[in-house]
Amino acid sequence: MGGMKDSAVIAVPSNPKYLSLIRAVTATMGEIYGMAGPVIEDVKLAVDEACSNVMKYAYRGDTSKRIIIRFVLKKGFEVIIEDNGIKAQPELIEGRSLSDVRPGGLGIHLIKRAFDVFAFDEKKKRGNRLRLIRHRGESDEDRDSRQ
Amino acid sequence: MKIEIADSKGMKILSISGDIDMHTSPDLRRELMGLVHKKMTPILVDFGSVTYIDSSGIATFVEGLKGMMAYGGKLKLVGIPPKVMEIFCFAKLDRVFEIHGSEEDVCNR
Repeated sequence: MGGMKDSAVIAVPSNPKYLSLIRAVTATMGEIYGMAGPVIEDVKLAVDEACSNVMKYAYRGDTSKRIIIRFVLKKGFEVIIEDNGIKAQPELIEGRSLSDVRPGGLGIHLIKRAFDVFAFDEKKKRGNRLRLIRHRGESDEDRDSRQ
Repeated sequence: MKIEIADSKGMKILSISGDIDMHTSPDLRRELMGLVHKKMTPILVDFGSVTYIDSSGIATFVEGLKGMMAYGGKLKLVGIPPKVMEIFCFAKLDRVFEIHGSEEDVCNR
């Protein structure tokens, strides 16, 4: 990929029907970054889960709002998800114990297994800016070494 | 996502194709819970053509299973593709659900 920084931004309505578009763009950015197939699947699912959370919790199901998703490919694979909805309370975001079988609470685990950094930008006054970063690892370089 | 419902050898079979996400899982929930409310058993879900599942899809099946346990019903999942199965395993649900390779495996038991 060289030293060039690759980036892309999409803005989509807060409607779940756009999740497939978000997944498709995430997968393409993963390919550009040189991720291996299984890693792309994990990252795609994680971004889907993060955007689903925005639709569900920040916008409480209001489909007329907007979500901005920014991909920055540099030393790591970075995804920044912004909304203008209800502020998340990071200290309260905790998935269910995986041994506790009940609906819900799985999404946060799926996000954190794909990304090394999961952080809300405290400087954002209104809404949320979630920064997800996956550092480049061996599994991300599989495809690079094969090409 | 598409869902087809059929009867076969005393079982209700839900054949699902496409992506199960927060957009499509409400349709799945409506179909599955419709059968659960009628206390149908067994219900077999054919995952053979499922291309993707997120936590909302997983939650739908957990809700269905819990609903069926209340009346002693059996929910059987068949033909789960590897990348979908990986999510069930990560969520430690591979030991909670009754999972079979194919519809024939269920019928032969």
